[in-house]
Amino acid sequence: MVASIILSFNKYNVITPSKFIGLDNFKDFFDDDRLGTVYWNTLKFVLILTPLHVILGLLLALAVQRKIATGLKYFYRTVFYFPVLATSAAVAVAWSFMFNKEFGVLNYFLSLFHIEGIPWMQSPSWVFLAVAIYSFWKFIGNAFLYYFIGLQNIPETLYEAAEIDGANKVQRFFAITLPMLSPMLFFILVTTLIGTTQIFDEPYLITGGGPGDASRSVNMYIYEVAFQRHEMGYASTVSISLFLAILSITVLQFALGKKWVSYDQE
Amino acid sequence: MSSDVQLASVYTEEQKEIRIGVRRRSAGSYVLDASLLVLSFLMLSPFLWIISTSLRLPKDSFSLPPAIFPTDFNFNNYAEVFNRVPFADFIGNSLKISLLIVVGHIFISSMAAFAFSRISFPGRNLIFIIFLAGLMIPGQVTIIPQFILISRLGLIDTHWALILPALINPLGIFMIRQMMMTISSTYDEAAYMDGASRMWVFLKVILPMVFPAIAVTSVMTFIANWNDFFRPLIFLNTFEKMTLPLGMTVLTGTFGSGNLSAILAGVTLSLVVPLLFYIFGQKYLVEGITAGGLKL
Repeated sequence: MVASIILSFNKYNVITPSKFIGLDNFKDFFDDDRLGTVYWNTLKFVLILTPLHVILGLLLALAVQRKIATGLKYFYRTVFYFPVLATSAAVAVAWSFMFNKEFGVLNYFLSLFHIEGIPWMQSPSWVFLAVAIYSFWKFIGNAFLYYFIGLQNIPETLYEAAEIDGANKVQRFFAITLPMLSPMLFFILVTTLIGTTQIFDEPYLITGGGPGDASRSVNMYIYEVAFQRHEMGYASTVSISLFLAILSITVLQFALGKKWVSYDQE
Repeated sequence: MSSDVQLASVYTEEQKEIRIGVRRRSAGSYVLDASLLVLSFLMLSPFLWIISTSLRLPKDSFSLPPAIFPTDFNFNNYAEVFNRVPFADFIGNSLKISLLIVVGHIFISSMAAFAFSRISFPGRNLIFIIFLAGLMIPGQVTIIPQFILISRLGLIDTHWALILPALINPLGIFMIRQMMMTISSTYDEAAYMDGASRMWVFLKVILPMVFPAIAVTSVMTFIANWNDFFRPLIFLNTFEKMTLPLGMTVLTGTFGSGNLSAILAGVTLSLVVPLLFYIFGQKYLVEGITAGGLKL
């Protein structure tokens, strides 16, 4: 087990297994024009998808957590969570057909509302909306379920005490629900951020990175360099840069998290 | 485990709902109900479309208007999927790989967690921190050295390439250890006093008490590996050895733009195992997360 950990650090040594070329990879790294594009694309994915899941997941959980029939709750939980389990590559393939400009289902239904021929896959800006729609459908259940469980674990007594003190709904939300939920919120924020920084499946299966490089993520680029161009050394350099990016985001998250996450809930 | 959990369970479902704040039904609450219903329908509609279209005749598969509810009942597409590509192999491989990983991973993680929480040895905390650092390293960063290692071992295009690296996952060890830490050491002491061996304490005393953590780790490990697309894409080449997610690309390639219905028949079939898994696994997933598997 320890060996596997040591090995995971060994990537730094495996950069050029056959031939030592010094810092050449790093020189290429700074000369690579496409790298800027793929990093910018990845940043766009992060900026779009993280708030999408963190905020909408919470709103959904709050909506389902209200006083509604238990059976209906179970129904919503199933409907929102099942796509998370559905074999991702399979449903992504189905979605890529739904996004088709000419015969896709989505454009058909939009045309009923007189919105015609949206170029989901052909336009550099629409592809991001396409990925966002798919990502919401596929993964919102994850954030939803965590929030849902977090909400259920907030002790009733707090709300009762607040009500006796005359706190209204909004005050109760900001004084009780949000602070009590903050560890869960933090967990979802950190995992979503790390997950979207490494985004691969969604653009690979739905957009193919296109049009051109418009939706190619850093991870797709690493895959291309390592396993299609077979430049393992350079791919390692890029992957280390991605690792450092993720590490700094995470460290920053934990530093900021200290300010607003409250753990003393006993 | 926090006292919140026990406290919460004292209250009835209705009291729980009341505390969220909707006692008298307001207009806003009806709007929310309606939006939730519409959203649920939108979430379900891709599945309805997938199933309905998979039952269409191949020549109608692309034709509009699309079907949300089945209009034809043509099951030939399902036969096609099995005849033209080794689809049964895909499902079998995915099941085999995911289940072997779950079993192996739980075996290793629970013992490691036991060592990290109940056996004191020099450097224990340091080693544990090194383990946790492994969590910070994203999977795709290690894929290149992993690929080189696997190819030197001659395991490319075998299922071992997928199974072996997945057996050790710091997250599983972390979750099970966290739960073991909450168990009072008086249990072990009493058992050792009665002459129990360490293995007996592990199997009969500690392991049953961390069942929720084991269950949630199993469910999450299964989902992650069942859905894994990246590693099979890199390690597997032969059709017969492919997993279901990778096989989907083969299916798309085979039927291309000619027969969407057959592709969607494959998609429908791919949903069977996750559905069964949801039915049997969701209880443990919810319980496991609730029971403090997630006290970060």
